[in-house]
Amino acid sequence: MSPRFDLVNIAMVYLLAVVIVALRFPHGPAIVASLLGVAAFDFLFVPPRGTLTVDDIQYALTFAIMLAVAVIISRLVETVRRHADEQASLEIRAETERIRSALLASISHDLRTPLAVMAGASSSLATSGERLSAPERQALAESVFNQSRELSEHLAKILQMTRLEVGTVAVERDWSALSEIVGSALALHTERLAQHRVIVEVPTDLPLVRVDATLIEQALGNLLENCAKHTPPGTIVRIRAQARDADLLVTVEDYSGGLSEKDLERVFAKFHRGSVESGGTDIGLGLAICRAIVRLHGGQAWADRVPAGGTAFRFTLPLEEVPSVPTEPVPH
Amino acid sequence: MAEAPSRPTVLIVEDEPEIRRFLRAVFGAEGYRVVESATGRRGSIDATTHKPDVAIVDLGLPDVDGIEVIRTIRQWSPMPIIVLSARIQERAKVEALDNGADDYVTKPFGVAELLARVRAALRHAVRSGAGTSTLRFGDAVVDLERRVASQGSKAVHLTPIEFRLLTTLAKHLGMVVTHRQLLTQVWGPTHERDTHYLRIYMKQLREKLEVDPVRPRHLLTETGLGYRLVADG
Repeated sequence: MSPRFDLVNIAMVYLLAVVIVALRFPHGPAIVASLLGVAAFDFLFVPPRGTLTVDDIQYALTFAIMLAVAVIISRLVETVRRHADEQASLEIRAETERIRSALLASISHDLRTPLAVMAGASSSLATSGERLSAPERQALAESVFNQSRELSEHLAKILQMTRLEVGTVAVERDWSALSEIVGSALALHTERLAQHRVIVEVPTDLPLVRVDATLIEQALGNLLENCAKHTPPGTIVRIRAQARDADLLVTVEDYSGGLSEKDLERVFAKFHRGSVESGGTDIGLGLAICRAIVRLHGGQAWADRVPAGGTAFRFTLPLEEVPSVPTEPVPH
Repeated sequence: MAEAPSRPTVLIVEDEPEIRRFLRAVFGAEGYRVVESATGRRGSIDATTHKPDVAIVDLGLPDVDGIEVIRTIRQWSPMPIIVLSARIQERAKVEALDNGADDYVTKPFGVAELLARVRAALRHAVRSGAGTSTLRFGDAVVDLERRVASQGSKAVHLTPIEFRLLTTLAKHLGMVVTHRQLLTQVWGPTHERDTHYLRIYMKQLREKLEVDPVRPRHLLTETGLGYRLVADG
């Protein structure tokens, strides 16, 4: 084997290295690598060895080619890479646009349905009220009232979600008793939970938490509303709370079927919709708002399965040291 | 004047004509004499000239803050004032109550709710002169003067602070009392931020006087605002 052939092969190995560097790294390093490659090749293999001088001028061509290959490949790779990036961002933009229009479609559906009922019922009353029987008039008037409340709740949720995302929700923390928040959240949702069997296991002597009670009442209320809407009438809904080392764990469980593993995480996503068992609609923001509120308070919100079949929605609230309350002298 | 004494006057300070329209209709149908003011300044004047029995004040008025109207009225009259507030005005609600409003209704509201609030406020206005000392709610009977209480058939011991707290709530029977009002009246002005006192003592009161302390029917929580004692729950 002639040493000349040997040198060409070595040059090829260096060329391969230059190509690999050009493929994997940006333009700059590729050029540097190829220059180093040329220098090393020259120093180690090209006679006279051990110097950077070159006997045969032909090698200049070899060096030039190695350099050119490095530049061309790294340019090519860069172009391809840029195209791929552009493609990806275009796809993301298209996906965002698709999600946004799907959201708009579903929101406007949720808002339009109660509006359509209200317009229909109230115009019936306005144009032919006198020809309707008293119970019919009453029913129409009540449906206007109920739908307006539904609409108002949808709007409140959309507004609240927006404010939570933009970060304009002021958290006004004060010492609060979880048992009170549970009591008032239940009182607010009495009507909605009338068909469910509610069990409350919340001790009144839990440590106080420093939270914005209005927001936590909302978070808990949304969990209750979620159970009421997505489980059939007669379902047991159990509310529990317990103090742990550093936080308070609040659980709302329903005993009906339960969610799939996939849905356990997805339910907290914005505009996620499950099947609605009861009448009315669900705009799919309740649990997302719940999680956002809990996170604002430094807690976690998640769902897991109840072994007996059902879903447990849980959230935690961090505990802090409660300032002492002076005790009254005990009489007698 | 031909006004029968049984026909109370209600002053409505609200800038939205559509809201005034249905309020006028419903209060008229319920037998009230209705005075309407579209601005806050007009409302303050109408309150002095018409001497209403109860005022309903919207917090989102275009000219002056609804809270200003409440302060102006409170300078000369103890008439019951009920505020109408949007859901987003949580802070304004507390401020209105701390400045002398007696109760609130959140927009959008059902008329039944507003009428119930107005009736409770009028009852309160009549009663506050008389000073009833026995309080009955659910199975609980509390003699505020002799300081004895019972729940069902058994006697209940209430501590002096629990009594003061209950008395303060009873003074505003059926209406909301803010955290700050309760703290200053029961513990004194230096404790107006010690909400944790309230939480502990309300829990004790409920455990002694409510059948189910977690789901109270009389000693109600007004989340973020205060408490409300209702006798007929």
